[in-house]
Amino acid sequence: MDFVEKRLTQRAKRGDREAFAELIEIYKDKIFQLAYRMVGNRQDAEDIAQETFLRVYANLHSYDDSYKFSTWIYRIATNLCIDRGRKKRPDFSLDEETEPGQGMDWYSRLSSSERTPEEKVVTQELQETVQDALSHLQPKYRSIMILRYIEDLSLQEISDIVKLPITTIKTRIHRGREALRSKLRLM
Amino acid sequence: MECRDMISLIHEYLDGDTDELTNQHLQTHMKTCVSCRQHMHELQRAIAFVQSASHIHVSSDFTARVLAQLPAPTKKNLFSSWLRNHPFLTAAAVFFFLMTGSLCANWFDRDNILQVSSSNMDKLKIDRERNVVVVPAGISIDGDLVVRNGNVEVQGEVHGNVVAIEGKVFVASTAQVVGNTESIEAIFDWIWYEVKNIGNDLLPALP
Repeated sequence: MDFVEKRLTQRAKRGDREAFAELIEIYKDKIFQLAYRMVGNRQDAEDIAQETFLRVYANLHSYDDSYKFSTWIYRIATNLCIDRGRKKRPDFSLDEETEPGQGMDWYSRLSSSERTPEEKVVTQELQETVQDALSHLQPKYRSIMILRYIEDLSLQEISDIVKLPITTIKTRIHRGREALRSKLRLM
Repeated sequence: MECRDMISLIHEYLDGDTDELTNQHLQTHMKTCVSCRQHMHELQRAIAFVQSASHIHVSSDFTARVLAQLPAPTKKNLFSSWLRNHPFLTAAAVFFFLMTGSLCANWFDRDNILQVSSSNMDKLKIDRERNVVVVPAGISIDGDLVVRNGNVEVQGEVHGNVVAIEGKVFVASTAQVVGNTESIEAIFDWIWYEVKNIGNDLLPALP
């Protein structure tokens, strides 16, 4: 897998669009998934995923292929998500209690945005609950919980992506787990 | 050990960082402590919930839309991808380029010394002052006669081609030339002559 990606990135670096299209095919769902769980709606998530690939393309010349391509693309996507969150939405504190109205706001926002049939099937009560719980984490915890438990990455990889030591990642995962536990325990 | 310490042990356990001894220690504690058992269970449930949330796909035209937004490819990229897609034409072009190059080099690298190639050198009369190679009357030469940087005067017989490169061929009325006579003075004649030679070497059966 790594070998295939290396070949593809080298070809894409030389301006080969077919190779770049293959890279998109490999990563589009992973990146979209990360973005969707970060921002909570399809449209923004697709925008972020698109922007991620455009940035990857524009910066291919500076990509050093002694590092994993996945680490690099996840870093770009994570940064975009966090930047987007800063601009668009107020951050939620970990310890903040949810006000009764806030859950409604989140819910109505989701249902008002356009959804595909596929999404209607997928988005069931459980899914919304999980998304709700994630959205109440601070972005720096949220991104790490998503990378760990949805993208299924190792602690080492996450540490490479966000450029923080493993001990910091562990602390954030511990706190993130506790926050999710207190959100989801009553289910 | 306090339950507070146990909680951080539970997190280490969930990260897969605990050894066998610590695991046993944890197990024994949880058998007796309901709240820690509950805590662990809730954490595992929260993780399972988050992990169950991973079934969503981007819309199917995503790749096409991203590709459409990429900056237009540069001429250089178009050219190199064309080369990659047409390996045979590329090889042919390289071959043609090298061939032309070597032929031109042959043409330009020559000096102005009179050169004669024939299988019957002793029968030829070479006039260095006039830069002329003469096939005297009554003499018959087998095989081709090629002269560079000089003219050829044929009075006798030649059983083959007579070629003058950068020179002229004069054929007297008494002369007999079985093959062709050729005077090559321009580079295109030269290239054509070389290509014909290659062709003749490759297809010896043709006349």
